[in-house]
Amino acid sequence: MREEIISLKNEAIAQVMDAGSSNELEELKIIYLGRNGKLTTLIKKLKDIPAADRKEIGILINETKNSLTEIITSKKNKLSSSAREWFDPTIPSIMPPMGNLHLVTKAIKEISSIFEKIGFVRVRYPEVEWDYFAFEALNMPKTHPARDEWETFFVDQKPNDKYGQVVLTPHTSSGQVREMLRVKNPPIRMINIAKCYRRQSDISHVSMFHQFEGLVIDKDISIVNLKGTLDYFARNFFGKERKTRLRPYDFRFTEPSFEVDISCDICNGKGCKLCKEGWLELGGAGMVHPNVLKAGKIDSNKYSGFAFGWGVERAYMMKSGIKIPDIRYLYSSDINILKQY
Amino acid sequence: MDIFIPNSWLKDFLETNASPKDIARYLSLSGPSVEKVIKENNDYIYKVEITTNRVDSASVYGFAREASAILPRFGIKSKLKPLKFSSKYNFFDKVKYLDVSLDTKLCTRFTAVLIKNVTIKDSPEHIKDRLIKIGLRPINNVVDISNYIMHELGQPLHTFDYDKIGKSKMILRESKKGEEITTLDRKHFVLPGGDIVIEDGDGKIIDLCGIMGGKNSMVTENTKNVLLFVQTYNPQRIRRTSMTLAQRSEASILFEKDLDEENVEPAIKRSIDLFEKITKGKAENLILDIYPKPYKTKIIKTSLSFINKLIGESISKEDVASSLKLLGFSLKWNKDALEVSIPSFRSKDINIPEDIVEEIARIYGYHNLKSELMNGKLPEKLLNPPFEFEENLKNILSILGGIEIYTYSLVAESLTNEHSLKLLNPLGKDTEYLRNTMIYSLINAADANNSDDESFHLFEIANIYITKKNDLPEERMMLSGIFSKYQYVKAKGIIETLLKKIRIPYSFEIEDKKEFLPNNRLVIKTGSNEIGEFGTLENGNIYYELNTSLLQKYGNIIKPFVTPFKYPAQIEDISFIFPERTKIGDVMESIKKLDSQISRIELIDMFEKSYTFRIWYQNKSKTLSNIEVENIRKNIISKTMSAFGASVKN
Repeated sequence: MREEIISLKNEAIAQVMDAGSSNELEELKIIYLGRNGKLTTLIKKLKDIPAADRKEIGILINETKNSLTEIITSKKNKLSSSAREWFDPTIPSIMPPMGNLHLVTKAIKEISSIFEKIGFVRVRYPEVEWDYFAFEALNMPKTHPARDEWETFFVDQKPNDKYGQVVLTPHTSSGQVREMLRVKNPPIRMINIAKCYRRQSDISHVSMFHQFEGLVIDKDISIVNLKGTLDYFARNFFGKERKTRLRPYDFRFTEPSFEVDISCDICNGKGCKLCKEGWLELGGAGMVHPNVLKAGKIDSNKYSGFAFGWGVERAYMMKSGIKIPDIRYLYSSDINILKQY
Repeated sequence: MDIFIPNSWLKDFLETNASPKDIARYLSLSGPSVEKVIKENNDYIYKVEITTNRVDSASVYGFAREASAILPRFGIKSKLKPLKFSSKYNFFDKVKYLDVSLDTKLCTRFTAVLIKNVTIKDSPEHIKDRLIKIGLRPINNVVDISNYIMHELGQPLHTFDYDKIGKSKMILRESKKGEEITTLDRKHFVLPGGDIVIEDGDGKIIDLCGIMGGKNSMVTENTKNVLLFVQTYNPQRIRRTSMTLAQRSEASILFEKDLDEENVEPAIKRSIDLFEKITKGKAENLILDIYPKPYKTKIIKTSLSFINKLIGESISKEDVASSLKLLGFSLKWNKDALEVSIPSFRSKDINIPEDIVEEIARIYGYHNLKSELMNGKLPEKLLNPPFEFEENLKNILSILGGIEIYTYSLVAESLTNEHSLKLLNPLGKDTEYLRNTMIYSLINAADANNSDDESFHLFEIANIYITKKNDLPEERMMLSGIFSKYQYVKAKGIIETLLKKIRIPYSFEIEDKKEFLPNNRLVIKTGSNEIGEFGTLENGNIYYELNTSLLQKYGNIIKPFVTPFKYPAQIEDISFIFPERTKIGDVMESIKKLDSQISRIELIDMFEKSYTFRIWYQNKSKTLSNIEVENIRKNIISKTMSAFGASVKN
């Protein structure tokens, strides 16, 4: 038996050395080491060997098997034109530099796509605007105390006789009358997303921020439709389980006017430290005031509409659970911050 | 405006078993928003936000009135308790103790009464306690009564030392520009003119009406006789004065919101009662009351169908009626048509049928309404919206390693070019201008990161603002970016990849400009139009900017389809040695133009002055022979040698 094994080994080594391709090597592997291979057959015969010799023969067969496997592998590696070298696939990769989109960009992308799916048209209107479109056309005459709510920046430029002073638009609502004048004949379903400016700066306010404004005008537009639209947005943006509610409020350019709340995701509406009785304030909304329709040359006897305008940054932070301790971080240039978005 | 209302005080006027928590929740849902309920000793204090239009609810009594209308709809019994007065008052438009002449455009109701023999001292504890709860500091009984009544009824009042009013005479008139007054808080003002003031019989100005009284007529601890003074003023005038002089007193904040003239009467009656009780003074029997245009019930006409159309749901006549009645309105139906009579305290903010709809809907409960998306036709899309295009630019750059940044468009003077728009009321010097270039913002952003040794690429898409005479500025959307510690060729490669991705034909031209190293700035052109720039800055960073609307206008070029060449190219490398300062871009362009059969050329290696180009020779209808290739090669070599002074390296 011992001789049989040794001669089998020599025969195999000779054939492996002669082999010219890896296919040939595969065949040799089957011939000797396969399920019905020559060496395997010998292993099966092991039980017929006297018990005294069995251990020694067993070791020999095992050694033979190991050395054949090794020879075949090493021959295989030497073979072929690529003369393969040893390769380590676990080596760490070299990644191209990783870029990133800003959180505000991501938020705007998401918000506009939600509204575009229900037929809203995204538009853009001036960030530096006439007082007329920012206030006057929105039913806010010059002397009205409601203007205090918008801490407005004024530009050092001669006022226009018709449109008044030049201001940095404090809200996207300035686009409402411009959109009415552009479209002329409803239906209007506008989503206006833009930079806005207000004289404010603290941990929850920045002097430059973004708003998104929805405006819908058509026949028979009602409070029920406003609720439907807000709920549609809340479900798609914040998640299925979130709810909205309307509370009475006062804006000069809508009547009735609402403050819109969304149920708090931290406590599921039960009430916690971060919310007011289970609700978080999202922003304002309302039914377009007939005087605003009039400024937009739209017949308020024929058409009605609703509008809402909310902060992009605010809404996104309420959604994502990114707890940014100071909103001014959003406008930081620090790469270590920017890479987190 | 926010006001504080102690629950104990509220209960003076509201009969209900609603808990403070219920009151806060339900009032917020259907009326003024209760921002917070603060528990203090045995009391609760509501912090309430009052909107500009609802000055009628900016008081304890007003809030109680709202609560009595709102709570029943939530199944909680509530009743408003009427105000109580002693019954001895007579109102008359002339009295012996005061001679008044009045401009009724400025003052819509003027009441006053003389209270003799007052004793000035501390207020009783329960008055002090309530004032402290609403955040006021008790002073003395006269001042405290004013504050107390203002908070309870929402009507400011004023007190004069009667003996300091010259000749017991008052002329209420417009101020002239330059007139002066020292108010009781010792501030001195030179008036802009058109303010409401009172002049006494000696020609002194003794009151800056609605803002603050004059020091020369103020009540002091020696005062014996007090003139109690309750008025409503022209709200625009009050606002103008208070804004111009930057004096935002609590009284002026109420007056500028157009107070209800009918509220003056209960206010002066309550005040007299308190004065007599607390200061032990004695009021005259006749109260002076000049009220030329008493309130006539305002009527708003609307209809059930209009109400239901705007709400979007059918609300029954009964529900409409019960909601409005709870609010103190009365109604008259004529089939579908509805006439609503408005009580005086709501007459200033209820003006159109939409206002009536709001009242019905909020009392009915917004939470009881359905929620449905609108039907109807969809609007037309914009012709060439920029949004997707800009988004694509951002995506490409971020995939190529760019980190998007948002920087402030309000900058310091040093961070923008000449002729930038300047703000009239900036928050500070560092945000005084609207930038008309992005370059300085991005240089700053890169500098903020320069402690880091790693290379980075920041970019931003934002408007710059270009001043236009007598018009709004042009808002130009720019894509700008900055590379720090980047190899020049890699940075340039990123920008060229971007330009190729958006399919815009482009060329470069060297043109120097401020901030860039000499001979380092490339103007990027498409045809003859300048669309941007790229180059190395003085500080070693690489900066670029591109006008996004021009990119969109000239980009997205669809080239006609070209069948790939059937015959393979012959490829070979040629190395040249060039003199110093040779522009390799120009060399390659010139080689490419030599022969249409040169299908491609690339720089594959450079070492010192030697440059190796790989050249593809290809003809679309045949395989080029060696001789043909040799002829082209000879041409390349001779032209390059003569045009650029090059020599071939072997």
